[in-house]
Amino acid sequence: MEPTAGDLTDPLINHADGQLFLHEAFKIIVEEVLCKGTDVKEKVCEWREPEELARLLDLELREKGEPQENLLQRVRDVAKYSIKTSHPRFFNQQFAGVDYHSLAGRFLSEALNTNLFTYEVAPVFVLMEAEVLRGLRALVGWTEGDGLFCPGGSTSNMYAMNLARYRLYPEVKSQGLWSLPQLTVFTSPESHYSVKKGAAFMGFGMDNVILVKVDDGGRMIPEDLDEKIELSKSQGAVPFLVSCTSGTTVQGAFDPLDRIANVCDKHKLWLHVDAAWGGSVLFSKKHSHLMKGVHRANSVAWNPHKMLVAGLQCSVLLLKDTTDLLKKCHCANATYLFQQDKFYDVNLDIGDKTVQCSRKVDCLKLWLMWKAVGSAGLEQRVDKAFLHARYVVDQMKKRDGFQLLRDPEFVNVCFWFIPPSLRGKEKNPDYQNRLAKVAPVIKERMMKQGTMMVGYQPLGDRVNFFRITILSPLVSHKDMDFFLDEIERLGNDL
Amino acid sequence: MNLYVINFKGQTTVGELMNPEKGSPGAVEDMEAAESFIQQAMEIILQEAVKKATNVKEKVCEWRSPEQLKELLDLELKDTGESESKILQCCRDAIRYSVKTGHPRFFNQLFAGLEPHSMVASFIIEAIKTSQYTYEMAPVFTLIEDALLKTMMKLIGWEEGGDGLFNPGGSMSNMYAVNLARYRYCPDFKEIGMYASPRLVMLTSQEGHYSIAKAAALLGFGTKNVYVGAVPFFVNATAGTTVLGAFDPIDEIADICEKHNLWLHVDACWGGGALVSKKHKHLLKGIQRVNSVAWNLHKMLMATLQCSAFLVRDKSCLLQRCHCAGASYLFQQDKFYDVSYDTGDKSVQCSRKPDAFKFWLVWKAVGTRELEYRVDRALALARYLAQEIKKREGFSLVIEPEFANVCFWYIPPSLRNLPESPELWKKLHTVAPVVKERMMKSGSMMIGYQKHVDKPNFFRMVVISPQVSRQDLDFVLDEIHSLGKDL
Repeated sequence: MEPTAGDLTDPLINHADGQLFLHEAFKIIVEEVLCKGTDVKEKVCEWREPEELARLLDLELREKGEPQENLLQRVRDVAKYSIKTSHPRFFNQQFAGVDYHSLAGRFLSEALNTNLFTYEVAPVFVLMEAEVLRGLRALVGWTEGDGLFCPGGSTSNMYAMNLARYRLYPEVKSQGLWSLPQLTVFTSPESHYSVKKGAAFMGFGMDNVILVKVDDGGRMIPEDLDEKIELSKSQGAVPFLVSCTSGTTVQGAFDPLDRIANVCDKHKLWLHVDAAWGGSVLFSKKHSHLMKGVHRANSVAWNPHKMLVAGLQCSVLLLKDTTDLLKKCHCANATYLFQQDKFYDVNLDIGDKTVQCSRKVDCLKLWLMWKAVGSAGLEQRVDKAFLHARYVVDQMKKRDGFQLLRDPEFVNVCFWFIPPSLRGKEKNPDYQNRLAKVAPVIKERMMKQGTMMVGYQPLGDRVNFFRITILSPLVSHKDMDFFLDEIERLGNDL
Repeated sequence: MNLYVINFKGQTTVGELMNPEKGSPGAVEDMEAAESFIQQAMEIILQEAVKKATNVKEKVCEWRSPEQLKELLDLELKDTGESESKILQCCRDAIRYSVKTGHPRFFNQLFAGLEPHSMVASFIIEAIKTSQYTYEMAPVFTLIEDALLKTMMKLIGWEEGGDGLFNPGGSMSNMYAVNLARYRYCPDFKEIGMYASPRLVMLTSQEGHYSIAKAAALLGFGTKNVYVGAVPFFVNATAGTTVLGAFDPIDEIADICEKHNLWLHVDACWGGGALVSKKHKHLLKGIQRVNSVAWNLHKMLMATLQCSAFLVRDKSCLLQRCHCAGASYLFQQDKFYDVSYDTGDKSVQCSRKPDAFKFWLVWKAVGTRELEYRVDRALALARYLAQEIKKREGFSLVIEPEFANVCFWYIPPSLRNLPESPELWKKLHTVAPVVKERMMKSGSMMIGYQKHVDKPNFFRMVVISPQVSRQDLDFVLDEIHSLGKDL
């Protein structure tokens, strides 16, 4: 096993073989994932039970390697049994569809395989990230500010919480929470669970996330926010952050930012807007009013990998701050990375703004797409999603058995499918229980047949309902008609 | 097949918006245009970012100052889109001015080289574009992650198995370890926070990675409470320190931790690769006794970024209990399959990329023996380099390398044979930055330097890639001398 002197002279990897493999594998990717994966005649998913799938994939890692034909077959298998999230009938999550420019950007990011901590190792992308952030901040209404790309919206939300804490008590960075009073965070029960996870992770405790009432549209009530803040103060705690949401996960509600900002100004609290899902409305002249007042926030989380179809991951945290708060809060000044005697302007080494060390290049996918279609193209994408949602809602109202939770303000359409056997039986004592069982069965059937994918969940005291989110530029009315027909087909006998 | 997206003229009528199929010929053209674009983009990537980028005759980097680069790249984002040829040119430019981390003479970081199987896996992940929070969304990748983690646990020596997941980076893995240790110490912290509790303290070494300090800050402990005592609850040992590549004596540290009932985490982000080598795994002797391990496969084992595993020796669902929030829109308990396959609530993230696949495919392709051979070869090359440094005048090792980090000073002729003194150190300190600047502007290679504790700037050569040969290492020494002899 000991390498000989000869071994050390010859490079080990055969580039010709490697490049051939790349070439062949790419053909498979195009055929199996991109072409078939967006073809309405193909399945959305090829369901297998976990044990069976484990056998089919032959997961075991062995002493010896495999020839290229085997590996190419593995590539085919992975493609076959994976969910086709670009399929026109994939409606399960808040991402879908495919943009080929962003895809090229993603392939390129992977091929270049670098880290975004210093200018020396990622010159192009340090500059590019700054430009993309500037463009996004401009849409928020900020001519200056700060920010960075994070590995997901949960991280963005966490950073906002960390910055708010640091701004109020800079000593917390070195001394910890021990010396501080109890800090409280305010959010709505419809907000994303990362607010709670963040609170636990950062030592505040989930109990110190105070939930503010929402109206029947799922929007935070500013008056209740004010009351809860006063209550918290009277109990000896120190409120420090309000995390409101532009586009809640399930219902797609937009908290009233201007009025919430009034409350935050009054109590001098950091206002963070989790616009991971809804932020993209800022591209649309028609719909950006949903986020009116966002420029008054301190921070905004926004995931272009959702409605803008940039591809996972593409999540930004934008800040109004111009005092280098991000860097001060997070820096550790590691001398092996952030030498101060470099031959270029070391302010370009942005790595100390983040809690990560290695950080992937996530800006190229968005930049390339934006360059290709322009802000106008992205606006069209957003507007189109709204039109589709409107269409589905209108169609549902015309059909028996489809009951909307409410008229959506965004592109989440939440509804119950009530099979014929349950219609008119709302007064029955077991109605809710029986209704709750409908969605899971329809979901199982659609997945096993692979015809489409849509999510369901309960919410508060409302039993399981479907949530269809329509955002893919690949979707047409036919797909939505199919969707409604298919729900009926799968559920009529229940 | 409907394809709205590629419209290079930048205009779409309302009619097309509502019924893409109405313009059927347009739809067909669009799909062809999309495929053609992707094919052309991939051709550029293969030629420029793969083939050329690994060619020793090409430059490692095409240095430009930030101002120049801004102009060259035309970064501005406009209202209207650009032509296809312009977009392809953007791709070419991005490649041209990016650092070629797969080049045989890129030694700047703890990752290097190009592993084609991992790159293919990355492309697949990008094309499939899913999130690994639930089995329903990522059936293949969920099973693959599990299989890979189990195999890694066998290498660590956990007979009964354990738990784990892949994170966006080793820093995150280290944070998870701190969080789990805290949760085990007092599960109530999750709900009530840390206010009313006695001050908890974390122990690590000076050479430990700075992510421990960042973890202390983010998680609410405070950086001051790293290794200065009140109630210790967590110890971080490092297997392969960032600069020197040193390995903490895990067995001895485990004795102390067991005695005091402290959580022992090993940051093996860099050094974990030694576990695949029968010859070198002794460096991590004792690792089967620890509570958690962070291991970055994107470093020595050359998976593409990121590929960071966090492993915990626990079978009580600690990871899940510590992090879960039970979101009902994702983790419904009434699903039609076994919901224990939904891994999302083990994580602090929501969307999570299927990074494990990047290494699983490599392992399938080359096998454990080849992985072992790569590691042995890299370490043999590091030893070779150290020997050459000892032979050459003007080069001086900082310490004898234990792993793949070879740290040394280059002492230009003007500073040789002078008595050691603070003035000498000061002058020596200015040598590496200039040599670095010159190597980057010529694009011949990339090596890192840093000061360390009280030592003046020294170079840190890191040998990872199987593409690197002795000639490349000889070149490094020749080139440093060539660039620095006039200083």
